[in-house]
Amino acid sequence: MADPHQLFDDTSSAQHRGYGAQRAPGGLGYPSSSASPQASFMADPVSSMAVAYGSTLAAQGKELVDKNIDRFIPVTKLKYYFAVDTVYVGKKLGLLVFPYLHQDWEVQYQQDTPVAPRFDVNAPDLYIPAMAFITYILVAGLALGTQDRFSPDLLGLQASSALAWLTLEVLAILLSLYLVTVNTDLTTIDLVAFLGYKYVGMIGGVLMGLLFGKTGYYLVLGWCCVSIFVFMIRTLRLKILAEAAAEGVPVRGARNQLRMYLTMAVAAAQPLLMYWLTFHLVR
Amino acid sequence: MAFTLYSLLQAALLCVNAIGLLHEERFLKNIGWGTDQGIGGFGEEPGVKSQLMNLIRSVRTVMRVLYGLVMKKSNIYIL
Repeated sequence: MADPHQLFDDTSSAQHRGYGAQRAPGGLGYPSSSASPQASFMADPVSSMAVAYGSTLAAQGKELVDKNIDRFIPVTKLKYYFAVDTVYVGKKLGLLVFPYLHQDWEVQYQQDTPVAPRFDVNAPDLYIPAMAFITYILVAGLALGTQDRFSPDLLGLQASSALAWLTLEVLAILLSLYLVTVNTDLTTIDLVAFLGYKYVGMIGGVLMGLLFGKTGYYLVLGWCCVSIFVFMIRTLRLKILAEAAAEGVPVRGARNQLRMYLTMAVAAAQPLLMYWLTFHLVR
Repeated sequence: MAFTLYSLLQAALLCVNAIGLLHEERFLKNIGWGTDQGIGGFGEEPGVKSQLMNLIRSVRTVMRVLYGLVMKKSNIYIL
């Protein structure tokens, strides 16, 4: 690797160019080697022209989407959040469940941009929240199935409900950040990442509840709630509160107090939501 | 537990409509939330109340455009 901090090796353009050029002749060549009813259909010149036209339309459409996708979804920014590796995921999961011994919570910077999550365990990522969300849906389906309450549309309902709560949380926090006029570099995607970390604790709680009943569920959920609370406070303190307060000195003053209340409120909402989204799954 | 994305959208729409309904002259001035009353401090801290007043005024301004379009479409002319 030439640049040790490069996120990925970008092979997408070379790969897609080669793929797109090969698709048209491949599309025409394939039907002629198939069974005879299909071959007689495709040998008709009008149909083969239609196939060629269709494939060029598809290629043009793909180019159009590729050019315009950056306007709606910031793809390059999203790539940063998925630049993870196994070591990072392992360390981060350990940090989510046991954040009490970790000393340094600052994100390292490299020339004004935060370092990729692969190189710094404090950086937020979207891989763990995305995976944890999908696993939560599956575990919810499993839990419902063991209680004979399962039906396929319930899965969709669970997913929609959890997503709606996440959206509501993000909007509420963005609104409070605007009202308290916090000058922070906490972007929306960062916020989604931090709010998505609670799904890890939820999965643990529900799985323990399936294995050991309500006692196991409450024990593990209680432990994960406290851990997420501490994790959120220590992470958000650096992002929301002023630098002076972040170094551990409790600064008095109305503005910092309001920011401290905001951090506390955000962190306290996590255990509440963790309980609310899982208690109906464990009987 | 049927808290779906659609119900969130409905709730958001109703909330925005509720903010858009607050009349500047008849109501907000009487409770001291008019926007020409509070633009005192040009210092660092806008404060929660002035941010809230600015937010209400911005939402009302945007909603006025949308209300105007809807009214014009359905041939009702109310300001």
